[in-house]
Amino acid sequence: MNRFRLSERGAERLSISVLLAPAVAVIVLLFLGGLASGFLRSLNYFPLIGLNDFNFDAYFAIFTDNGFLQSLVLTFHIAFTSTLIASILAVASALLLRPAFRGKRIVHFFFSLNLTIPHLVGAIGVLYLFQNSGLVSRIMTGLDIIQRPADFPAMVFDPWAIGIIIQYVWKEIPFIGVIVLAILLSVGEDYESVARSLGANRWQAFRQVTLPLIMPGVVSASVIVFAFTFGAFEIPYLLGRTFPAALPVLAYQSYTDVDLAARPQAMAMAMVIAFISTLLIMAYMKLSRVYIRE
Amino acid sequence: MTQVTLSGLTKIFDQKSPPAVDNLDLEIESGKLTALLGPSGCGKTTTMKMIAGLLRPTAGDILFDGDSILSIKPEERGAVMVFQNYLLFPYMNIADNIGFGLKMRKVNKKEIRSRVQDMLDLVQLPGFEDRKPNQLSGGQQQRIALARALIVQPNVLLLDEPLSNLDAHLRDEMRVLIRRIQTEMGITTVFVTHDQEEAVVLADKVALLFDGRLQQFDAPDSFYDTPNTVDIATFFGGTNFIPGYYLDGTITTDIGVFDAPNSLVPEGDAVLSIRPEAVDLGEGGENSVSGTVLSHVYAGRYARFQIRIGDIEIEAVTEPGQVKLFADGDNIPVKFDPDKIWVLGPNTAEQPAATTG
Ligand SMILES: Nc1ncnc2c1ncn2[C@@H]1O[C@H](COP(=O)(O)OP(=O)(O)OP(=O)(O)O)[C@@H](O)[C@H]1O
Ligand SMILES: [Mg+2]
Repeated sequence: MNRFRLSERGAERLSISVLLAPAVAVIVLLFLGGLASGFLRSLNYFPLIGLNDFNFDAYFAIFTDNGFLQSLVLTFHIAFTSTLIASILAVASALLLRPAFRGKRIVHFFFSLNLTIPHLVGAIGVLYLFQNSGLVSRIMTGLDIIQRPADFPAMVFDPWAIGIIIQYVWKEIPFIGVIVLAILLSVGEDYESVARSLGANRWQAFRQVTLPLIMPGVVSASVIVFAFTFGAFEIPYLLGRTFPAALPVLAYQSYTDVDLAARPQAMAMAMVIAFISTLLIMAYMKLSRVYIRE
Repeated sequence: MTQVTLSGLTKIFDQKSPPAVDNLDLEIESGKLTALLGPSGCGKTTTMKMIAGLLRPTAGDILFDGDSILSIKPEERGAVMVFQNYLLFPYMNIADNIGFGLKMRKVNKKEIRSRVQDMLDLVQLPGFEDRKPNQLSGGQQQRIALARALIVQPNVLLLDEPLSNLDAHLRDEMRVLIRRIQTEMGITTVFVTHDQEEAVVLADKVALLFDGRLQQFDAPDSFYDTPNTVDIATFFGGTNFIPGYYLDGTITTDIGVFDAPNSLVPEGDAVLSIRPEAVDLGEGGENSVSGTVLSHVYAGRYARFQIRIGDIEIEAVTEPGQVKLFADGDNIPVKFDPDKIWVLGPNTAEQPAATTG
């Protein structure tokens, strides 16, 4: 009987593997294959364009290039700042929405409205609103808050990437918010009640009880957002400066450079993006685990 | 210590359903243990949350020592609530859980540590400070939840069904522990339960709630001896009811006329109630009728008989030795001691047929 059951389970496992095989193959080929070929090319191995010798020249070149380092800092700034702001605002709005939305379906609708709008549309919206000739600047001119539209502080194509961050924050709040709200609703308010009853004021109850309970969810959502904003191309391409450009934009610029020798450098940058994203995510996870254990 | 007064306390969650708590008046004595008893959904937790300040009453007032505390925040009321499902903070160890209230009050770490030790001793779980809540059994978690509440030395302790998730043995142990701590510390305590036996065993006074309304607020034995209504007597269980008409100290029923000096109704339709322990078998004379033994059960420390009198069946609980005296089918005299008869108003929707509740 026992042996029969074992073999049955074995068969089940086998059939699951077989069923999953096509999906796994696609992921492995596209993701790992792409990564591997990118890695080879970054090492100056690209027979198609006549590069056959392995070396680290591309990496050496980009890491001694001031422009690349500036891009790196800028990209980190964009990803970090937008994720942080989006996370804080998402938690705040989830807390504000919680009492009003006992019915979970309404919440879903509310947030998914925004989630379904593509990033590209968001970027155009930001352009339309925050350019020097944009709606916000014209309204402010109309209200005599500023004299001319040109006085409006640069928020698009600006050195601090404010336009990019605004777009990311707008787009990511509902993403993190949905997750936080779902956790809040499932955790319930009783833990907070216990804390209040034991003598915690509103802030202490949030800080000591609610926040640690929702933190794992906030962190995992933020990690996804961070990784996305660190490696995303279109928003910094549309709303950012050409120099310094965000890393993905810089990599693209190098890749489309007429000088074929820049190709390995483009690949090296892509590798750096992938590597840093992975590192940051790992560090973030570790930090969050320490935080939760506290 | 603190005396808690509920005055016309009402909570309506939504207009479509009846109030969860309906115009509740209650005087919870200082330093005593009061049980809030009632079936599931009768508004016990809601009442506790309002006292603790975690829910805002729709109407009415709550007074501590005569002063309304409705405008006082929960963290400043000095009323600590222990929840039905413990709710230990899962990411904190036991020491941090117990010390939570003191940390919120900015007590220094050294003192917190030593008072946490005292609490662990008090609830008989020394050495548990570094464990996580999920490494504890239900009973242990319950004791930690109690310690976490007691450490802040509350004026009012609100225990919401603290024993309902424990097995019978642990429950007895915890009852003793709670009663001991409560007496030692003299904290005004409200203890919620849906188990009438638990309420009677533990409490100085019992408040019985049905559908958000107070039914009776009395010493525990009154619920057995002098319940206000048939419903209450039924909730406490085991009583015999015989409908009749009450006039001048006697109640006339289908099976006979009985002297009954103790009555809630002055005159009119009424229900005779008598507990099975108060039914004497084999005794004739005043207040006795003739009945037939239908069946009997020997239960070691007592015996239980089903008796038919006319069209009515009643239950009698006697000394175990009496099983030897009466056999099934015997015709025997059955006596109701007049002092133990309690006459009630027939106030339920459906007239109680003579049944044992
Ligand atoms: N937050 C709420 N919103 C709407 N209705 C509620 C809410 N909390 C409780 N109720 C309703 O109020 C009534 C009383 O609930 P309460 O929790 O006080 O009962 P209880 O006596 O504690 O029951 P139990 O013994 O099952 O814990 C119930 O009918 C319940 O459905
Ligand atoms: Mg309850």
